[in-house]
Amino acid sequence: MIEITIVNQGSELARVAGLLDRLGAEHHLAPEALADMQVALDEVLTNITNYAYTDKAEHQIRIRFELLDNVLEAVIEDDGAPFDPLAITAPDVSTPLRERRVGGVGIHFVRSLMDEVAYDRTGERNRLVLRKRLKA
Amino acid sequence: MDLREEKVGGVTVVEVKGRIDSTTAPALGERLTASLEAPKVRVLLDLSRLEYISSAGFRILLLAAKRADATGSRLVLCGISGKVRQLFDLGGFLDLFTIVGSRDEGIAAAG
Repeated sequence: MIEITIVNQGSELARVAGLLDRLGAEHHLAPEALADMQVALDEVLTNITNYAYTDKAEHQIRIRFELLDNVLEAVIEDDGAPFDPLAITAPDVSTPLRERRVGGVGIHFVRSLMDEVAYDRTGERNRLVLRKRLKA
Repeated sequence: MDLREEKVGGVTVVEVKGRIDSTTAPALGERLTASLEAPKVRVLLDLSRLEYISSAGFRILLLAAKRADATGSRLVLCGISGKVRQLFDLGGFLDLFTIVGSRDEGIAAAG
């Protein structure tokens, strides 16, 4: 188990990606699975830093990685506004270029790339669990 | 992410190596904005050495494509395979860009 706490600024996200890279290198994780987790984390953390907070204060976001039996798990906890990524409907990916909005695609990536996504809200905290199988 | 730019004939080739995520996307955006600044230019984005791209990167690519459309320029993408192709496909982006296989094809298509 390895844990990192960041504040709600976009510039912090590189630290999380770096930690996940190191975890992947240490445990020889498949690059494909690692890339999927990197993309999912980028989407989730970008959402939190951009949209979870309406005040200007600094908030802490905690990310915990765990290697379970054949599964890479990331647990993301924040004290932002309630947000259940599983409750969002999939974007219309057939919209023409000029009307296209990228919003929604990020969450779509998370749900498609991960094998399991679980959300719960406990007290004032969002808790999102991402799980990626390491072998087929 | 590393960006390498070269001119091949009248085509500006931008090669992206590494990853395009929310951290690196702004630098790519700046580069593409600069490459597409003049009207009627031809830009080839070589993604063969790209590891992955998140929605922050697709936002930048869509903006660049819109800009190219608006200024009579041509933006062509090449070298999209494996994980990167899967992400383009998942997001429904394959039809939104002019995509060719190799760099040579891209230079021909852009030129």
